Amino acid sequence: MKVVAFNLMPYKDLPADFEKKYDSVWVSIPRSLYDPRKGHTYYHDYLDALETAVDLGYDAVGVNEHHSNGYGLMPSPNLMASILSRKVRHSDTTSVVVLGNSLALYNPPIRVAEEMAMLDVLSGGKFIAGFPVGTSMDTNYVYGINPSEMRERYYEAHDLVMKAWTTDEVFTWNGKYNQLRYVNTWPRTAQRPHPPVWIPGGGSVETYDFSLINDYSFSYLSFFGHKYAKKVMGPFWDRADALGKDRNPYRAGYAQFICVSETDAQAQIDYEEHVKYFFAKCMHIDPRFFEAPGYRTVASLRAGLRSQLDGTAKVGKAILDEGFGWKELVESGYIIAGSPQTVREQIIEAARELNVGNLIWLFHCGSMPQHLTLKNLNLFAEGVLPHIRNLWPEWDHRPFWPSGFGDPEPQDTRRSAT
Amino acid sequence: MAEPTTHTYQVNARLAIDTLEAGSGDPLLFLHGAGGLAWDPYLDALAARRRVIAPFLPGTSKSNDISQVRDLWDLVLCYYDLLDALDIGRADVVGHSMGGMIACEMAANDPSRVGRLIAIAPAGLFDMDDPMPDIFAMRSTELAERVLVDPKSPIAELLGAMPEDVDDQVDVLIQRLGTLSAAAKFLWPIPDKGLIRRLPRIKTPTQIIWGRQDGLIPVGYGDTFRDSIPGARLDVLDQASHLVQLERLPDVLALTWQALARPAGTAP
Repeated sequence: MKVVAFNLMPYKDLPADFEKKYDSVWVSIPRSLYDPRKGHTYYHDYLDALETAVDLGYDAVGVNEHHSNGYGLMPSPNLMASILSRKVRHSDTTSVVVLGNSLALYNPPIRVAEEMAMLDVLSGGKFIAGFPVGTSMDTNYVYGINPSEMRERYYEAHDLVMKAWTTDEVFTWNGKYNQLRYVNTWPRTAQRPHPPVWIPGGGSVETYDFSLINDYSFSYLSFFGHKYAKKVMGPFWDRADALGKDRNPYRAGYAQFICVSETDAQAQIDYEEHVKYFFAKCMHIDPRFFEAPGYRTVASLRAGLRSQLDGTAKVGKAILDEGFGWKELVESGYIIAGSPQTVREQIIEAARELNVGNLIWLFHCGSMPQHLTLKNLNLFAEGVLPHIRNLWPEWDHRPFWPSGFGDPEPQDTRRSAT
Repeated sequence: MAEPTTHTYQVNARLAIDTLEAGSGDPLLFLHGAGGLAWDPYLDALAARRRVIAPFLPGTSKSNDISQVRDLWDLVLCYYDLLDALDIGRADVVGHSMGGMIACEMAANDPSRVGRLIAIAPAGLFDMDDPMPDIFAMRSTELAERVLVDPKSPIAELLGAMPEDVDDQVDVLIQRLGTLSAAAKFLWPIPDKGLIRRLPRIKTPTQIIWGRQDGLIPVGYGDTFRDSIPGARLDVLDQASHLVQLERLPDVLALTWQALARPAGTAP
């Protein structure tokens, strides 16, 4: 199993009455709540923590993109990844993953091909490219993309970026949303033919198929943990079977809050306040922004609405609204928390259940102070990581992970052979 | 109320458009707002004297495939194609809200196709100093408060009640979301698609009607429409919001008949 140390970079000092006084942590969060002096400290603490993760030998460090969002303070994750790539380039074990750039938001989308090629070169070919469709909040409400065009824009931008990465001749792109007379992105990517691609997503069949058909790794990004993820990973592997793809666990990853301490009891003492901050404040999203009309396809809509209306499927936040304590958060799998032994047992059980090779580990939660963040990183590296690394010895991770500069290009191999 | 009949027209190689129709006489095209097409008392009264043809916006009824309409310009062409399919050279056009915007576009882009224009609280403008609210981020209770002076009036039922059965609820919600999705294609993220630059091209005699308490599109937008369309007439009705043609039915009808009695625009 591979572990990505992943950080959302939340704002840690939202007011105590935030969820009562304000409508939303996203889209309409008051700008006046942001203190740039605190923001300065956060950014550097978060980067320090991610650099520590490189030192500790995690398989990757990860960042992602959000807009007008109080729990995701990276409108440009590429800026953060570029800083991290300075350290990643010296590491034998750690890659950097941007999970990712919302392709429909970049105009023209070759901007993504260019910046990610820069990151690939900077990191020494140890870069993973994530391409999310994007949430309605970020994509439609904040960035104004018409929901009726969003998926088409996404797929067209994907095709353009991939062609830009894999074509060495100057070409012309005549798309519906992009017309470019001269496509010729410099620099080239370090990895050939291109960096591994991961597709972060929710639960739409379109996204499973898109990932599987292209041999991209699918990452189920939710904050509700492994039990909730079963609803998605089951159908994902069913689609893999239907499409004739193997069940290599590295085809998939999932996100999980994990909090490690000396003992199970100490974990609650250490982390409860900060985990609750996340679920109470950072999940406080105005439902008016959940979903622009046209964001979901009619097929996904029909499936989703039925279970919402008859009460069989409650979204994570609705469950939290009914009153969740530490015990319930742990039991329902929203968080994995406890001693190193407790944590590794639960991770192994969850990974086997979900058949996932990539653990997108949310190592920071809500208002966690820096000393706890570092404690979590250190205890996990000592007491968990060595025990879960060899979970899937029979499967090859390499189709979904960077090769680095050590992997020569095929033509170079031929040249040296002669 | 008269029972309208449903018709489907293959308007071009890609697109079929469904309509509701009733009445006889000179054709009168009615273009509905973002909430969708429902046969209401205003349409019923119009059908007493005219042949009312009310197309469903593509994507809001069963035959219409929204993916076959690329953008607003394409949509306007599809409505000209509909007139062709109906063998109507020039029609009087009434449009409400988003439909008012489309009606203005039809009159501005080809003045020969629209005889008289009646725009009821039309969309199509956006004033940053007097912004209209976001209809795509609105709870249904808020919507009722914004489009009606009295959200408890019987007219509110036209906004849609929820059936008991869960399967029926799913169907109703999908229909509503489908309608709003189709409207969003032309109105996202705000409805200003450059109409103000085209309004001066309208040669058609134009009547604009607004509710003084319009909670969706501010009444001040009416002045901009009147000032931008040559010779346009604006009437603002008190005690009415965005569904002014239902809230003040007799008065809006009187204004409508008055406007339709004026000489039609002449084809250039």
